[in-house]
Amino acid sequence: MKLTRRDFSRFAGAGLVAATAPRLFAPALAQDKPLKIGIIAPRSGAAGTAGECGIRAVQWATERMNKEGGIAGRKFELVIEEETNPKDTIERLRRLILQEKVDAIHGLISTGVSLGVAPVAEEEQALVVMWDGTTQDGVKEMMPNPKYVFRSTDNECEAVMGSLLAVKHFKGKFKRVAGINPDYSYGRNNWEAFKQILARFGVEAEFVAEQWPKVGTMDLTSHIAALNAAKPDLIFSSMLFADLPVFMKQGHAAGLFNGVKMVLPAAGWQINQLRKEFTPEGIIFGHNTLYFDHPQASPLQKAFVTDYMERYKEAPHWEADRAYFALATYKAGVEAAQKAGGKWPTQEQVAEAMPGLEVESLGGKGRFRKDKIAEQVFYQGPSTNNNKYDFPTLASIDTFRAEQLQKPPGMDFWEWIKTAKMPV
Amino acid sequence: MSNPSIDIVSEREVRRTALRPNGLWVLLALIIILALLPFIASPYVLLLMLPFVGYSIALLGFNLLFGSTGLLSFGHALFLGVGAYTAAVLTSKFGILSFELLVLTAGLVSALISLVVGALCVRYTRIFFGMLTLAFGMLFHSFLFKFYGITGGDQGMRVLRPLLLGMEWRGGKTAFLTGPFYYYVLLLFALLGLTMWRITKSPFGLHLRAIRENAGKAAYVGVEIFRMRLAAFVISAVYGGIGGTILAITTGLADPELAYWTHSGNLVFMAVLGGSGTFAGPAIGALAFVVLQDLVMSITQYWRFVMGAVLVLLVLFMPQGLSGTIEALVHRRQGGR
Amino acid sequence: MSIFVDVVLGGVFHAAVLFLVAAGLQLVFGVQKIINLACGSFYALGAYFGITAVGLAIKLGMPPVLFLPVLIAAGLAIGLVGLPIERVLRTIYRRDESYQLLITFGFLLMFQDVFRYLWGATPRTMDNVYLAYGSANFLGIRVPTYNLLVIAASLAIAVGLGLFLERTKTGRIVRATAENRDMAEGLGVNASRIFALVFTVGCMLGTVGGALVVPSGAASLDMAVDLVVESFAVVVIGGLGSMRGALVGALIVGLMRAAAISLVPEMEMLSVYLVVVLVLIVRPAGLFGKATA
Repeated sequence: MKLTRRDFSRFAGAGLVAATAPRLFAPALAQDKPLKIGIIAPRSGAAGTAGECGIRAVQWATERMNKEGGIAGRKFELVIEEETNPKDTIERLRRLILQEKVDAIHGLISTGVSLGVAPVAEEEQALVVMWDGTTQDGVKEMMPNPKYVFRSTDNECEAVMGSLLAVKHFKGKFKRVAGINPDYSYGRNNWEAFKQILARFGVEAEFVAEQWPKVGTMDLTSHIAALNAAKPDLIFSSMLFADLPVFMKQGHAAGLFNGVKMVLPAAGWQINQLRKEFTPEGIIFGHNTLYFDHPQASPLQKAFVTDYMERYKEAPHWEADRAYFALATYKAGVEAAQKAGGKWPTQEQVAEAMPGLEVESLGGKGRFRKDKIAEQVFYQGPSTNNNKYDFPTLASIDTFRAEQLQKPPGMDFWEWIKTAKMPV
Repeated sequence: MSNPSIDIVSEREVRRTALRPNGLWVLLALIIILALLPFIASPYVLLLMLPFVGYSIALLGFNLLFGSTGLLSFGHALFLGVGAYTAAVLTSKFGILSFELLVLTAGLVSALISLVVGALCVRYTRIFFGMLTLAFGMLFHSFLFKFYGITGGDQGMRVLRPLLLGMEWRGGKTAFLTGPFYYYVLLLFALLGLTMWRITKSPFGLHLRAIRENAGKAAYVGVEIFRMRLAAFVISAVYGGIGGTILAITTGLADPELAYWTHSGNLVFMAVLGGSGTFAGPAIGALAFVVLQDLVMSITQYWRFVMGAVLVLLVLFMPQGLSGTIEALVHRRQGGR
Repeated sequence: MSIFVDVVLGGVFHAAVLFLVAAGLQLVFGVQKIINLACGSFYALGAYFGITAVGLAIKLGMPPVLFLPVLIAAGLAIGLVGLPIERVLRTIYRRDESYQLLITFGFLLMFQDVFRYLWGATPRTMDNVYLAYGSANFLGIRVPTYNLLVIAASLAIAVGLGLFLERTKTGRIVRATAENRDMAEGLGVNASRIFALVFTVGCMLGTVGGALVVPSGAASLDMAVDLVVESFAVVVIGGLGSMRGALVGALIVGLMRAAAISLVPEMEMLSVYLVVVLVLIVRPAGLFGKATA
């Protein structure tokens, strides 16, 4: 229920009212205007499908949350901008901040763009909650103590988990390892993490082939030929764009996967395109923070997945959860800050309130650390084709929390891999 | 694109020319308007103007190639990238923050690279030149992407805030960009514009136009085609590099997408939108493009379609661009030739 | 030995795909002196439309074996989009070539959003066709039969085009118009009709190429933009305006790429660019081209 009152003195009056009648409290400024949240996500190009999934999720969440009263009693609306390249996206970001005067900005998936955006957001003192795109280099180089920018879990979490599960499920069963990863920072970091974790667990493996296809390559026949020639017994691939299903399809046709163990930490992004016909079973399949078919899914997740699949005829993947998580933690932060301060909080106050608040996201519980990096729950496991869908599901689910997969604040990632206590 | 060929200019024509708005004056008028803008416009609009200035400077160079020499480069964004990465390397790797040094170095590096690229490309004209420059632009893009150890790959490289005339601005980035940097860059724009004006009006510029009109005839008359074209290419590259530096400082990041061929395509779009037949045309095109794109992106998510349609309609119905159309109208008013 | 065959086959497959797009480019350029920057868009259009057509065929209950002809038919059908586009282009034929580059760039931008609007941002795949043809044993390695079919189709098209241009009356007229439009018109050729034909055939080469290839890959929003660069490399290496150049150029690019992937994976795209630069230095007109462009 929304209460509106005219106020005569913004601060004194509101403070008095807050002190005397907290439950009848209305935001100090005449809050008939809805809250504006800027959303920046890719809508075209390689990451377009991921962006769309996230946008759909926030739209769903917006409808729901507004029906239940909005954020701290205030309805909100989304202003959607497209994420393209760093230069243009920073311009749209500035537009959202200076022209649209949004109250917060959520989104951003690409690593290059998030790296560029973070300093700008800090300088403009704008609250930005990123859905994705956090990399080790970013964590190292960017401001160690951001005031306004919230980043997602380290990009390498899924690689770490995939690697750990490879050790757990496949240790001793493979000798020759091949990697085929997208040719950019994400692919490189993931492959490196995998190699280091194998080393850490004393797995003696020979790295027989390394392929680096250009992001989005539609013809992987030559790469597959090269992999085939190396005769691996395990293939690790962090491919996650449209090239992944192409790789699986072409690889299957060339007989690449016969008797080969597979680790695909980011396959969940392409779940709808990975058909059972060419996707073997037993793949360590990564769904990141949202496994749409989790048998113990929360009512929230069940409701979301049902609505999503009915509306869009495809399964949602983890970008939906990241988008929802950003919105949920923002909402929690605003409500906490408002309660503490007695009036509508500034962006800075919300940024201070958000860390530590645990919220229920689509995939499970999560929160932001003090250093404003997210901590969520990750789901991966060996795949099975025995289900009612066109694509595989998980035969068994391993669940790790981010604290087990991410390095603690201040530590070097590669050091951490060597010395941390691992859940396997 | 119908400029008079090298003929004897009659007295009447001289008088008419004096009445027509001089391209340089148009440019200076534009700059003056921009200089007054901070008094009435919001910070966001001012921030939008900075890439406009960066693009305009790059386009001054581009149009030396296209408008004057008749060479359409579809890889001009290469030099935007060179300028951007020069600024990034100098500020974040070597700690050199002097804006003057950044600009000079960007120009120098662009000149050196363009000597090599130009030597290979300017032998060919028109479509072939366009394709070659596109290929070289993409080669540079691949290099930026691949050699991530040096360039940062897809993550790009930070560009730190420079010192203007050795002075540091202690304040927010937006205040810096919309304040001292804004005026500095406008001044630079004016100086570079003046320089380009002189270049186009010089004998060198005349030779370029002669080559564009009829390369065979020009060669017969003794014009050294290869050398002239290469010189034009190098000059355009220098301007491109400086423009790129300004873009990168505004963004704070140099990333490989700056050199992607569609970015070059946007430059060509701007030049044609404003009119490549006039001096100030490309700058007007840059302004129109920046404003148009900002507007369209805010209205629809299918902005690529709209921009593409604008380009198609432009080529079909208004190939001489905005400035060319205005000039034609003015001409008609004056009873033209 | 089998590894070598595997690599070569991979390269030839990629070359087959590139050839189809490059051939469209070369045909249109050779006759009309237009470089179609939207060539990649036609390729993507064929791919997307092919998926829709096969989806329809599945609904109608057609057996998977028939899907190949369905794809070819779909490619030909959607290639007719070239007709209205050529009409638009007709108005600027006599103008400076730069404007042609520009207007086709405009089309490229427009197409990108058309794809997104009609088919969405999620990459589309077509799974039944590729695997429906099974795999064959070719010189010791297992190759999807579909790949061989694509290579064969590409070759057939190359030969067919060659025969058409060299042996048939219309083909000769096309070549005459390419040499000298005004002269041909003077001799009674309806140049506009020829141009419409050539452009549409050029488009069809692209759309059929896209339709043929999509079963083995996927249709995605950025495939058009990426393809332009590779096809330009093919055309520069082979020589502008030459069909033989398209074939040889495509083979060189395809095999170079395959070799790089198997020997020095990091050099994948760079190896192609290196060849382009080399050709430019050593034989600037391309292997089969004329330098007068």
